[in-house]
Amino acid sequence: MRNNSLLSYNILLAMQSFKRAKSLYFLIILTLSIGVGVLCANLALVNSMASDPIPEKSANLLHVSMNTWPDVQPPDEPMHILRYRDAMKIAESDIPLRTAVFYASGVYARDIESTSMKRFDSRVRATTPGFFGLADAPFAFGTAFDKSRGMEIVIGHELNQKIFAGKNSVGKTLELDGELLTIVGVLKPWIVRPLFYHPTEGRAFDLTDDIFAPLETAIDLGWSIHARSSSSDNYAGVNETRDLNVYYLQAWVELDDIAKKSALQSYLDNYSQQLKDAGGHPLAIKNRLHNVNEWLIEAKVVDQKVLAFTLASILFLSVCIFNASSLLLSRFHAAKFEVGLRRAIGASNKHMMMQGLTESVLLGVFTGVIAVILSWFFLKISVQFLPRLANIAVLEPKLLVLGMFLALITAIASALYPLYRANRYTISAELK
Amino acid sequence: MLKMNNISRIYQSDTIQTHALRDFSLNVGAGEFVAVTGPSGSGKSTFLNVAGLLDNFDKGQYELDGVSVQGLNDSELSRLRNEKIGFIFQNYNLIPDYSIFDNVDMPLRYRGFSSSERKRRVEQALEKVGLASRMKYLPSQLSGGQQQRVAIARALAGEPKILLADEPTGNLDSLMARQVMEILHDLNKEGATIIMVTHDPDQAREVNRNVQIIDGQLADFKIYAPLDRESQSSNQSIASVVSKEVHKEEVDA
Repeated sequence: MRNNSLLSYNILLAMQSFKRAKSLYFLIILTLSIGVGVLCANLALVNSMASDPIPEKSANLLHVSMNTWPDVQPPDEPMHILRYRDAMKIAESDIPLRTAVFYASGVYARDIESTSMKRFDSRVRATTPGFFGLADAPFAFGTAFDKSRGMEIVIGHELNQKIFAGKNSVGKTLELDGELLTIVGVLKPWIVRPLFYHPTEGRAFDLTDDIFAPLETAIDLGWSIHARSSSSDNYAGVNETRDLNVYYLQAWVELDDIAKKSALQSYLDNYSQQLKDAGGHPLAIKNRLHNVNEWLIEAKVVDQKVLAFTLASILFLSVCIFNASSLLLSRFHAAKFEVGLRRAIGASNKHMMMQGLTESVLLGVFTGVIAVILSWFFLKISVQFLPRLANIAVLEPKLLVLGMFLALITAIASALYPLYRANRYTISAELK
Repeated sequence: MLKMNNISRIYQSDTIQTHALRDFSLNVGAGEFVAVTGPSGSGKSTFLNVAGLLDNFDKGQYELDGVSVQGLNDSELSRLRNEKIGFIFQNYNLIPDYSIFDNVDMPLRYRGFSSSERKRRVEQALEKVGLASRMKYLPSQLSGGQQQRVAIARALAGEPKILLADEPTGNLDSLMARQVMEILHDLNKEGATIIMVTHDPDQAREVNRNVQIIDGQLADFKIYAPLDRESQSSNQSIASVVSKEVHKEEVDA
């Protein structure tokens, strides 16, 4: 009861103190809010870059890199892109629970029933059916295609919005670069941040694809490769790549038990050894399996510039805290008489400390609210300078909580030295 | 009520050591009204600060209402100040942004009283000094004398064992000074123990005991003979002037 009454009194005193020195507290709040806001905006970017996009099974999803380059001048590290026959060898294995082999492409899409001739530039993932289960793609309507060959597709939420206004388009037919393919599934809004299944070539912050097409169909139709590829053979189109040394497919596997990783590694190594023994390549056996988070690190998804800027914003926040602290020191200095008087009539150092801390916490709450608004604003500005970050410049609820927490901590940190000084005032001297 | 034995207070700067109080001993019994006089720099304020637990002392023993203050921590000293001592300062020391009510309420906030109890005590204290009708006023809306009466009400609200007044009329004109002195005398009559530092020999003469501090020590003689207040016709008339003044203010309010 007594504590509650003192707490409400301290809150009342804090509000009176804010009213008494409005300009000064406005400056303090603004100073801290800018510091916290800038840091929060950066942390939001780092959080989006460094977070686990599929935490429930990221440890069991493995990306396969292999070293089967047929030339004597191999790349330094195993390649993250594979030949068709290497990728198919992985797909044949019964060790993984699921396998996804895919490449990125692009087509122009149009509803054949539409009177408009407008075509939508669409990102395509030409993939084996295992992709959907492996990546936990959420379906709004229909299902995935179940074979790697067939004139069927799954489309993403955005494309469905653009062409069919978000309605159930299962059964509708799209014209894709002159070919007619039927929609068998429509995805819900699907955000994968970072885009773990294709973080290379600067795609880590891309949106999920518009169209998912069966791999063999895409190859047969000659849909071009819209990602990195390497080749030691000449070829005229993708449809010729199955038997050539053209490296463009990526492979992911999902293990139901991570203990099977060594079995998979042996399977890959044996396959590479057999190739080598048959004269397929002259290289050391060097195959790599990375889980999702390892692969994101390998792909250097976290932008070093953003990290450097985050460090700079921590230093900037420190400067803001020093500034706020010096402003608070002047405020507390001006209130020396009141501190002395309160001490004389019976307030203990602890009381005065609690009064100061209550003021700091309230200051932190106000700062937090403004800091969160500013961090949203700073994120928008960041995207103006770094457009590729547009899809990750998101303030998640946990960042809002962090922003409030940071504001509280900085407000309290700013008040610590002034409070320490205020508690060392000699009562009798302040009352003269 | 207040027992000081061989108290010393030494202020030390880089090069100079100043003995503000030197083997200072004083006993004040319950219900006494003691005037403390002495030249400037003699140690009167230091005595009042030590007595009011606003300042430490270096040597000696000090007992306040049966409680030895040596070795008490800050919280214990603060509680003693809050519960047993009421301060009246020369400059009133009211917080200008707070209403009269809030100023008087301040010490009670640290006592843990319920809001109804605080209200009762504040109203009673302001009633006692004739300012019950001005609770919502700000200090700047009151005269100097009225402000000092608010300060007295603040000191009284916690029902302390002893009132320490540091030249309470020092900033007031003679009429207002009389009002304040009358209130202090009334309180003393009701049993309050009061120690008042003053420069005014007339005020010192009015009280039942006065002591002098010279060079940080208690002088072992009395300079002023106490007046018999009841026999002073001038005082009678001043008292009636004060009553009239307070009554007039209440009517005005």
